[in-house]
Amino acid sequence: MLSFEPYGNPTYFALLGVALLPLMIGLLYGKRSRLYETLISIFFLILTFGGPKWTQGIALIIYILYEVALTWGYAVYRKQKNSGPVFYLMVILAILPLTIVKVTPAVENGQASLIGFLGISYLTFRAVQTMMETRDGTLKDYNIMTFLQFMLFFPTISSGPIDRYRRFEQDYRTVPSREKYLGMIQKGVRYIFVGFLYKFLLAYYFGTILMPKLQIMAMHSRGGFMDLSWPVLGYMYAYSADLFFDFAGYSLFAVGTSYLMGIETPMNFKQPWRSPNIKDFWNRWHITLSFWFRDFIYMRLVFWFMKHRMFKSPRTTANVTYIINMLVMGFWHGVTWYYITYGLFHGVALVVNDAWLRYKKKHRESVPHNRFTQLFAIFLTANLVCFSFLIFSGFLNTLWFTK
Amino acid sequence: MAKRLLRIFGPLILAAILVVAVLVSPVTFGFKHVSASEERQAAVSLSPNVLKGKRIKQAALKSDYVPFFGSSEWSRIDPMHPSVLAQKYHRDYRPFLLGARGTQSLTNFFVMQNMQGELRNKKAVFVISPQWFVKDGTRKDAFAFYYSQLQTTEWLSHYRNDAIDRYAAKRLLQMPVAKSDHFLYAALQRVAAGKQLTDNERFYLKTKQNMLTQEDQFFSGINLPSQNLNKVNQQAKKLPTHYDYRQLDQLAGRIGKEQTGNNRFQISDSFYNQGLKQELKTGKLKDFQKNLSYTKSPEFGDFQLVLDQFARLNTNVMFIIPPVNAKWSAYTGLSQSMLRQFDRKIRYQLESQGFHNICDLSDKGNVPYFMTDTIHLGWRGWLAVDQKVDPFLSQPQKQPTYKINDKFYSEKWQQLDPAQLTQYEQETK
Repeated sequence: MLSFEPYGNPTYFALLGVALLPLMIGLLYGKRSRLYETLISIFFLILTFGGPKWTQGIALIIYILYEVALTWGYAVYRKQKNSGPVFYLMVILAILPLTIVKVTPAVENGQASLIGFLGISYLTFRAVQTMMETRDGTLKDYNIMTFLQFMLFFPTISSGPIDRYRRFEQDYRTVPSREKYLGMIQKGVRYIFVGFLYKFLLAYYFGTILMPKLQIMAMHSRGGFMDLSWPVLGYMYAYSADLFFDFAGYSLFAVGTSYLMGIETPMNFKQPWRSPNIKDFWNRWHITLSFWFRDFIYMRLVFWFMKHRMFKSPRTTANVTYIINMLVMGFWHGVTWYYITYGLFHGVALVVNDAWLRYKKKHRESVPHNRFTQLFAIFLTANLVCFSFLIFSGFLNTLWFTK
Repeated sequence: MAKRLLRIFGPLILAAILVVAVLVSPVTFGFKHVSASEERQAAVSLSPNVLKGKRIKQAALKSDYVPFFGSSEWSRIDPMHPSVLAQKYHRDYRPFLLGARGTQSLTNFFVMQNMQGELRNKKAVFVISPQWFVKDGTRKDAFAFYYSQLQTTEWLSHYRNDAIDRYAAKRLLQMPVAKSDHFLYAALQRVAAGKQLTDNERFYLKTKQNMLTQEDQFFSGINLPSQNLNKVNQQAKKLPTHYDYRQLDQLAGRIGKEQTGNNRFQISDSFYNQGLKQELKTGKLKDFQKNLSYTKSPEFGDFQLVLDQFARLNTNVMFIIPPVNAKWSAYTGLSQSMLRQFDRKIRYQLESQGFHNICDLSDKGNVPYFMTDTIHLGWRGWLAVDQKVDPFLSQPQKQPTYKINDKFYSEKWQQLDPAQLTQYEQETK
């Protein structure tokens, strides 16, 4: 039985090309065949979750049925009533499987949970978001079939980008004009090829060639202050480069493939390394995730705190929420000290950043602002981010706590 | 629309055609040339890419390099290492080291497949590690690490459907990595069953071989590790200008003594400090090899592949059987009589088939500074090897006559208790 990592090798792309061809011809002539789309979706899902990984496939099917029952049940309920506790209960139930998957390795000596599968986080984000918009009343016509297509849209199933139900539905229900679709094909093909450069050349160089060497060198030069050495610094940059090119490359494949299917999945990265501050960084890095956190955790917490008058000043409210928001993101990555520290680090960085921007606004005359300070800001932000990725990589854990 | 589509997909299609054309065409584009410095670097690099590839090996062996097959011992580069001695004393030959940690007979057999022309009627050196001959033979993950589709396709291109090919195919099918190409896997199943390959399979293998050969030409020279060559150059500086065995033996002993101060096993300090020290503290290593045996193993069958291949190519081979550090084996409880039994069995397999150039050092485990660590030759051990290898390679040798016997592929031989060797010999006559 054939089995593939999504976008993992040339054969996968060849199959993708063959499978998409009829669909593309259809779209060029203004036709969208739901049946054909469903069939190739199933085909690629089997390629990803079948064969030796069939246990993941079973977990995926059960998970999907469970989330459909929850979201559909809540949509039906919401038409009649709107009670807070019911909503909270439903959200808790929706994130329960993800929570189990994330906590299991921490309490079971690193063993993976049986109910886990590649991409469970991203599906949970989509389901919870559907539920929240149902509660808000912005999503009125929940449809099971559309929800299934939205959840199981194969180009983005394993690692996002995280689309929104209503945005997806709009694309999915319509056929782009020929002129527009040709533009999408052009963009899609370009994205996929930039993805090749990112993932198979640059990420390969940094991640597969450079990183292991630096890792060995760093392990050999332990013994100094906190076991730090130049190779650790090198590792930090190599890891950051690998993380970016690997993930951005993958995202480009996912977005490019979506475009070829006439779906404008949102972009995930927007030149993150030129951010002048950490807040801007999160508007450019893993955008669909940080916007999801902004819309469904940050904004809601701020609103809730203000409604219940938890803090006197709006400034405190914002700061507390930053920290909680980033801590949740840290926990979501996994229950280990380094993910949680990473979350905390970014939470604090956001608080400091806000304080600095306020200070700068107040003392506009005395704080210089020119090309040099801008470059310095970019340099500082990039290095802070790389440092946070060093924490995130877990390498410090290996460096300090292994024999 | 057509114009716009052509603008989008035109470059893509053109690129695809160019890539396929380059990979499928037999043209070499001038990449075939290997410079002398590239050869020097590759010969001691121990890089898996060199081992798995073809271009560099082939070019080097066409000049004055001689293949030295083996495994992890090659990375123990001290002043008496064969590569250092050959360089320092301007020998007529230069070792081309093939093998690294985890390469055993089966890997070495496949490594031979794309250098057959360079082995035919030539000389070679082969180090047999007793540690290969454990109960399960070669480790599947280590084999996968050194597995080369290029070598497999080359082997199948001169496939003759007899014992050697059927056995090799059978063994390969037991390795999970054989499934990395489904068509190749299907072809292997036919070979193992003794059937002819179909025309389609032949065509597929030919095309694949061509593609992999081109890839090897373009990429095998990239990123050659250079640290081993630097080591060789550094170690050569420690040697006296003129070769004198007694002087060198003293020097080897002296260096050995200097570098093994911190433990009672005469294991080099650097090796000892790399984890062994920690592990010894747990006390788990005491007597842990008490029941270990090297006498019954599928490795004996895999080793027969190597012998069979050498015989078919009429290669004159010097085999080296290294000892185990006796101070170490006394601690771990490794049985000395079992080691002697192993030696008897492997020597029977060699000598009964006409392989008489054997440098058997198996009884030298007690000689001070002979081993650099637990199981690897060092200082005086390397020098003892040189005593045999140098004359073998520098002087003309009588052509050997080999008498290959397929009984050594049998399960019975692999599992034979060496105590029953005499009886076995009678039965199989």
